[in-house]
Amino acid sequence: MSDRVNSPVQLSARHLSRHFVSRVPGRFLNAKHVVRAVDDVSLDLVQGHVTAVVGESGSGKSVLARMLARIIAPTSGELVLEGTPIHVGAKRTLDYASKVQLVLQDPFASTNPVHRVRHSLERPLLIHGASKSDVEALAKAALTRVSLDPPDRYLDRYPHELSGGQLQRVSIARALCVQPDVLLADEPISMLDVSVRLGILNLLKGLCDDEHLAILYITHDIASARYLADEIIVMYAGQVVERSRGTALVDEPTHPYTQLLIASVPDPSDPTSQSSQKIERTTFAVAEVGCRFAPRCPSAMEICRTTDPPNFEVGEGHLSRCWLYAGRPEAVVEVALPERRREGESTKT
Amino acid sequence: MSTKPVDMEESPNVIERSLAPLTAHNEFVLEVTNFSVDYGVGDNMVRAVNDVTLNLSRSKVLGIAGESGSGKSTLVYAMTRLLRAPGVISGGNVVLNITSDVEGEGAASVNLVTASEKELRKVRWSHVSIVLQSALSALNPVLRIGREFDEVLKTHRSKMTKSERHARAVELLKMVGLNEDRLFRFPHELSGGQRQRVMIAIALALDPELVIMDEPTTALDVVTQREIINELNVLRSRFGFAMIFITHDLSLLVELADEIIVMYAGAIVERAGASELYGSPRHPYTLGLLNSFPPLHGARSELVGIPGSPPDLANLPEGCSFAPRCPYVMDRCRRDAPPLMNLSGSDRSVACWLHADDASAPVPVELARRVAATAPGVTALKDRK
Repeated sequence: MSDRVNSPVQLSARHLSRHFVSRVPGRFLNAKHVVRAVDDVSLDLVQGHVTAVVGESGSGKSVLARMLARIIAPTSGELVLEGTPIHVGAKRTLDYASKVQLVLQDPFASTNPVHRVRHSLERPLLIHGASKSDVEALAKAALTRVSLDPPDRYLDRYPHELSGGQLQRVSIARALCVQPDVLLADEPISMLDVSVRLGILNLLKGLCDDEHLAILYITHDIASARYLADEIIVMYAGQVVERSRGTALVDEPTHPYTQLLIASVPDPSDPTSQSSQKIERTTFAVAEVGCRFAPRCPSAMEICRTTDPPNFEVGEGHLSRCWLYAGRPEAVVEVALPERRREGESTKT
Repeated sequence: MSTKPVDMEESPNVIERSLAPLTAHNEFVLEVTNFSVDYGVGDNMVRAVNDVTLNLSRSKVLGIAGESGSGKSTLVYAMTRLLRAPGVISGGNVVLNITSDVEGEGAASVNLVTASEKELRKVRWSHVSIVLQSALSALNPVLRIGREFDEVLKTHRSKMTKSERHARAVELLKMVGLNEDRLFRFPHELSGGQRQRVMIAIALALDPELVIMDEPTTALDVVTQREIINELNVLRSRFGFAMIFITHDLSLLVELADEIIVMYAGAIVERAGASELYGSPRHPYTLGLLNSFPPLHGARSELVGIPGSPPDLANLPEGCSFAPRCPYVMDRCRRDAPPLMNLSGSDRSVACWLHADDASAPVPVELARRVAATAPGVTALKDRK
């Protein structure tokens, strides 16, 4: 694994929020309901490292990815690309798109079914200023990078002629062909067959280790996050509830929500995972005040229902947003993380 | 119906038609023999299910694992005669052994392949019900949930009065942990997990002996999946229905099922008890599938999974269909397709030349393990049921 100290932060998000306003059904006129889809999320995408965001459906992880790709404008907060703050209200520029690329969940939906693979790859190249004589060679090079070898066999295929795994490789190649520094992968394996998932994960890992891309890996599968990521972030109802460097978060989960997530994963090798833990039925209520997880939390206390918890440091680079750890020092995320990352380097292998 | 012969190699190891002696007629709720399903006819024919034989004991859970295109959904749709053209059942029998029901019908065996529509209607829902993957598309978007229950009960339990039907619907919803006010909701007002619960409640409305679940939790996130699985375990211990559970998530099946069938390219490649399959897979594909799930514990190490792509059914290779992706491939695999062989000294079977009696090479160590001690949880779970 490359050296964290010298790895520059490619893209960082500072206090990124996105609120959606919806009308309350059945109520009159001004009744409005604000959904805080993403609320005050800060993260750094570091060159040559994978940052994983884990959460269930509706936790805001996809909205976060789209904000980082600047497809959705944030309500507040800022993005910093290679040290330069980006004015988030402005339109997404070609320059930004050439540095930050997004790979979507369903390759069959994200490739145009009436065009050949060639079209999907050459079009972004032309848009980003490659000359017509070069595009074919560049497209082939992109296919080779994602292990679709020989590229000639795939270039003139239609999406329906490829399997899901191959097509997901094509959409990764499409993202790679403009030579981005940051790759945002939004659930890239959840629509794929089990037997080809690892192939895609290993491809992402290779891109990160060998080509030093900064990768954001969004998933609901915490085991795959553990497999791939250098930093894991768990989101619940738009907020980061726990984050850790390395696998600390999975090995010793501190936040009750992370514990619930891990206990829910089918794990035949661990007899305690299902039999001992009685899981409360999901209530979909998200608390308006206090900790958002409090209505579902088995260890909810009085303070949880009234005051939103700050981040407490529960370990080296391991933050938990839970009042259970109120004795620990409070940590402020966006200043603390890059600093800690350097200090903690010696302990991480 | 086409009469294409089902080709099955005559070898001494070939599994017998029934996996256990048919002493007690009603021991199995479902007996499937040499069942094949094609899509299309003539030159464009694609064999989606190839010569499947399986038995399901009463009150047991059979898991079917396989990736998309392995024929697992086609198998259950064809078994229940829900498959539409161009799907054609091209051979085999599906016998459903039913016990007497509330309508006063006695115990009987119905061959679903040859049954008439009238016979099928008697069997469907009352004896076999099915839960589909996408509850949103399975529930009628313009009907309230209550109507769905009402229609089933009206059709199959014509003697029930309106208030009885309502009471039954409320009871069913309570069973799956939903409040009765959900009866007045439309499907879009429920969350994914709630919809899937409604589907399960409707499937259980007539107290069937066999419930087929086609990837019921695939579209749900992991916490909701866990709740539904727990719910199913409770319901099963209460009502004792047998279940066929289809999924691509092998680790989920290991927890849930008594017996697991792994399908590849339309054929069964391995059949074993859940803990045996997990602890000691015998087919290279099963081993690959089990290794495809990153572990939650232990050191992080590079996993390889299964190389290559899922097979194209219209263009299957000569010999074993898994041969192009198999790390243990031998010359023989490229020539002859292996039959499903009984492994000596056990009641499990596998379709792989590595385990043939006359195999030239010894079985690779990772495919010859005894049942590992790593799966005590599985047996503990079984006891709990």
